[in-house]
Amino acid sequence: MATTLYLLRRLLQAVVVIFIVTVVVFCLLHSLPGGPARGILGAQATPQQLAQFNREQGLDKPLVVQYVIYLGQLLRGDLGVSYTYNQSVAQLIVQRLPKTLVLTILQAVVALVIAIPLGMWQAARRNRPIDYVITTVSFVAYSAPAFFLGLILIIVFSQTIRLFPSTAPGGDTLASVFAQPQALVLPVVTGAAAMVAVFSRYMRSSTLENLGEDYVRTARAGGASGTGILVRHVFRNSLTSVVAMLGYYVPVLFGGSLVVEQLFNYPGMGLLFWNAAQSSDYPVLLGCVLIISVATVVGTLLADVLQTIIDPRVKAGRA
Amino acid sequence: MTTTDVSKPILEIQGLGIDFSTESGTVHAVRGVDLHVRPGETLALVGESGSGKSSVALAAMGLLSNNATASGSIVVGDLDIVSADEGALRGVRGSTVSMVFQEPATALDPLTRIGWQIAEVVRNHRPVSKADAFAEAVDLLRRVGIPDPDSRASAFPFQLSGGQRQRVVIAMAIANSPRLLIADEPTTALDVTVQAEILELLRKLAVDTGTGVLLVTHNMGVVADFADRVAVMLRGEIVETGSVEEVLLTPQHEYTQGLLAAVPRLSTEFDSDAGTAAETPAEPVISLTDVTVRFGRGAHTVHALDSVSFDVRAGETVGLVGESGSGKSTAARVALGLIKPTSGAVGLFGQDLRTLRGRARRTLQSGIGVVLQDPVASLDARMSVGEIIAEPLRVHRRGIGGAERARLVAEALEAVRLPASMAWRAPRELSGGQRQRVSLARALVLKPRLLVADEPTSALDVSVQKSVLEVIGELQSHLGFACLFVSHDLAVVQDFCSRVVVMRNGRIEEQGLTGHTLVDPTTDYTRRLLAAVPVPDPIVQRDRRQARLAALAAVTTTESLEQDHA
Amino acid sequence: MSAVIQNTGIPADVAGATGARLAIRRFLANRIAVVGLVVVILFILFCFVGPFVHPTDQLHTALSSANRAPSGAHPLGTDATGHDELGRLMYGGKVSLLVGLAAGLLATVIGTLWGAVAGYAGGWVDTVMMRVVDAGIAIPALFILLVISAISTPSLSGLILILGLVSWLVPSRLIRAETLSLKNRDYVLTLRAIGGGHGRAITRHVLPNSVSTIVVAATFQVADAILLVAYVSYLGLGVQAPATDWGGMLSAGLTAAYSGRWWLILPPGLAVILVVCAFNAIGDGLRDVFDVKGR
Repeated sequence: MATTLYLLRRLLQAVVVIFIVTVVVFCLLHSLPGGPARGILGAQATPQQLAQFNREQGLDKPLVVQYVIYLGQLLRGDLGVSYTYNQSVAQLIVQRLPKTLVLTILQAVVALVIAIPLGMWQAARRNRPIDYVITTVSFVAYSAPAFFLGLILIIVFSQTIRLFPSTAPGGDTLASVFAQPQALVLPVVTGAAAMVAVFSRYMRSSTLENLGEDYVRTARAGGASGTGILVRHVFRNSLTSVVAMLGYYVPVLFGGSLVVEQLFNYPGMGLLFWNAAQSSDYPVLLGCVLIISVATVVGTLLADVLQTIIDPRVKAGRA
Repeated sequence: MTTTDVSKPILEIQGLGIDFSTESGTVHAVRGVDLHVRPGETLALVGESGSGKSSVALAAMGLLSNNATASGSIVVGDLDIVSADEGALRGVRGSTVSMVFQEPATALDPLTRIGWQIAEVVRNHRPVSKADAFAEAVDLLRRVGIPDPDSRASAFPFQLSGGQRQRVVIAMAIANSPRLLIADEPTTALDVTVQAEILELLRKLAVDTGTGVLLVTHNMGVVADFADRVAVMLRGEIVETGSVEEVLLTPQHEYTQGLLAAVPRLSTEFDSDAGTAAETPAEPVISLTDVTVRFGRGAHTVHALDSVSFDVRAGETVGLVGESGSGKSTAARVALGLIKPTSGAVGLFGQDLRTLRGRARRTLQSGIGVVLQDPVASLDARMSVGEIIAEPLRVHRRGIGGAERARLVAEALEAVRLPASMAWRAPRELSGGQRQRVSLARALVLKPRLLVADEPTSALDVSVQKSVLEVIGELQSHLGFACLFVSHDLAVVQDFCSRVVVMRNGRIEEQGLTGHTLVDPTTDYTRRLLAAVPVPDPIVQRDRRQARLAALAAVTTTESLEQDHA
Repeated sequence: MSAVIQNTGIPADVAGATGARLAIRRFLANRIAVVGLVVVILFILFCFVGPFVHPTDQLHTALSSANRAPSGAHPLGTDATGHDELGRLMYGGKVSLLVGLAAGLLATVIGTLWGAVAGYAGGWVDTVMMRVVDAGIAIPALFILLVISAISTPSLSGLILILGLVSWLVPSRLIRAETLSLKNRDYVLTLRAIGGGHGRAITRHVLPNSVSTIVVAATFQVADAILLVAYVSYLGLGVQAPATDWGGMLSAGLTAAYSGRWWLILPPGLAVILVVCAFNAIGDGLRDVFDVKGR
């Protein structure tokens, strides 16, 4: 009951956020050089074509009316037509989005599986040499631009020791992504590196904070061992704040997919977007921005749901 | 247990010293402490904040923080805690010796069901299956008086009240029948009625099992209620030890004498003169009429206040008392205009606070002075004491120059018995009592007609409390302001206020002259509240305890009937 | 009796230790933060004083001396247009540092104002403002930046503005949380109860007490902005030739790197990493000093 209410409220918030996103994208559409008509018809369109298009699409009407028309198109799943692919933007995105999701989810899983134990281990060994070493490595991983890190990985693992291929497999289907799993290694590592850094730091400080809590003293007073306290109590309490952080990190992951996909020629949303930017394919650009933002909102929402599962206080409105 | 066992102390501390290395140097928190606890006896370790009493308790568990070093010896059973390694300490913690902490709100893991937290302590020391340990946990919850333990064992800590959480902590502590129980301010965070119940529970458990108890507390009433022997600590050293009667009734050391003199005592004598004071009708400076405050909407609505009406008249002091959640602080905040009532009227100096806006409202509010509970949070750490006190002047008397302002600040400091040179100091350099007096100086610098004080002394040691209350009383007779005094401490209110309003669950239970209402109340609730206050006299307290338990036994039957009807 | 009143259990000299000295001591105790500070100072010297020690021509192309390997005259070789790579590292570093600092500070200023207003106003104002922040965070900054790069090529100040506008969201959340807690502090309530105005509460209490949070946020923001500047050049939105920054040098050197000319890409790459690390480390140290929660 309380859980349902909480999730309904979060869902409503998400809908509001998506609404604001559509307004932002609509504004971007109207700030294109030559207005939306030029953006949709392309650079080669003649003034006559533009005027006719404006009339047909109601682009001579007030902005609010235009926005309503735009919203109506979105709700019907009409994101326009790409003028480089000559294909509906919605279709293009339906092909590409799953691949991006696969890549980002793989990155997130790999990153968390490494970062969470690493952070706890660092907390248990705080201020010893190994803690400083890992902290320094984390800082470097966080501070390296993904394209630079990816490049170094390609030069080392693909060119020099030829362990992993430097380009992801092409093809339209999702299955083709997994046809050559070793080709996923470098893109996943490149995308996960910064996330490992962020989350291991976060887990470390969260664990340290929890180790200072009263309940740890209570557990010690009951005769629990250091490892037992870490595993049975501190781990779960630290995890709640890490999961809360996960929601914030979803947009960063999607943003990173842009660079990673371009660098490794991985055929997802990011690469689609990159190519569209090179050819000024505005319908694709704006469609991608919209969908990636919706995906971000949904991802954040999922992180919140995950948190209600881990922390019973959230749904009771106490945390 | 043989007789030789009984005479041998379960806890023997000799020459204990504890040093803390802090950022600003080493602090010698405890020096040369000797004490012992025999099986079945309760030793109270009393002292004010910073006396080192809690450090002694933690040291006895081997739970001092990493920046602390202990010297001397602490023998529990046969083990010297000071020199023992972590493995040996783990063996005795929770089995031979266990501990109950001050803050039940944070003492339990928020994400683990309470049954499993207790079961964990069982399994730390005995090879029993998870299911058996959980069954034991349910039994323990029943022993500590948690209703419906079978289903409550699966509750999370946040679903329990403060008193119930403390019972869970106690259940964890007694899970392996320890021979020594260390209780560090076990009832300080609890309401007075809950305190009485928890103390009763601890006493029963200790008597039943012959457990020795080291009770750390600042509350002399708790000492009188519970302890057999008392050790008084001052600045890291024990200054006096003796039986509870000796120490509380005929204290030898000057410090103990001063401490006991400062403890507010609940008077039980009906004040027949009290009636005369209120005969003279003065106009109300503040009045709440049928004030209702609700927070939230729908199913989550909280009735913080429900048709609350009372007033404070010129020159008088009205005490607003009640337990946590009674709405007393909410009522004070409504009076201050910080919370808008959902319905009802608030009159300030004869005008309706609801209809006033902007300048007129602010001018009216300049007649109020405010002192809140937390000595740290009340003063902006980024300002000097002088700036803090001058703030009301800057708000309401913009015309005056710097020299005049400095003069008024100096005057205000002097009025609260602080040196004028303190204006240049930072709040962080001040003690708690000094901070509250700075708060008071700020409240009085505009010469207000009403002082609203929300628990102004509850964060302070008794001796400091006494001096702060003295200052308020003295200034009141001098300046003639009215005072709304919010407190949970009935003894303080009885001593300090002429009238009292007793609140419970957002409603007013009863109100009247302090000398009447807090001596011979008309409602059962107030009577129970009064009965639960422990007095710092072991002989008197013994009688009060018996009387309270007898009354409670009589009331419980009628109450359960009432609840059936509700 | 008065001896009892004055006794707080804490020796006077401990309670009186001044805040500033304690703060410096805490910062210096964080070794990594101190190293960070040293690195930042060295890089500022390198970029702004370095050109006087090692003067080079970064404006004109010199194709005759293009693509040289490191040598005595060119310690880090030359690039495809004949610029001395070491000199270019200084030249590009100026842009990276200046744009990063300016954009980071701009983002902090916008975020602080937005967050402070939302947090202090509360109610529906707060709700609306925070949903806008949520929406802004939902649109990944790199996507927006690439759309903008497809539309136009901004000037240097335009670039700073754009970077500031896409990165104020996270600090605004931090400052909002801080304001929310500060406005309910007892000293603010006391001021409000005696008729003090909102203006005084904000300027005298809320903002001065948020300074530590703002400073820490700004440090991290500068680190992120310097990183973002590198990305922006990679996305084709960076400063125009002959001007450059470390990100521009990186993307210009990408193809050369595959053929083993490491000197075109390792120096700018490591420079970005070092400086961003250094600012993050300083932020970490400052957070310890101020005891600020978050991030």
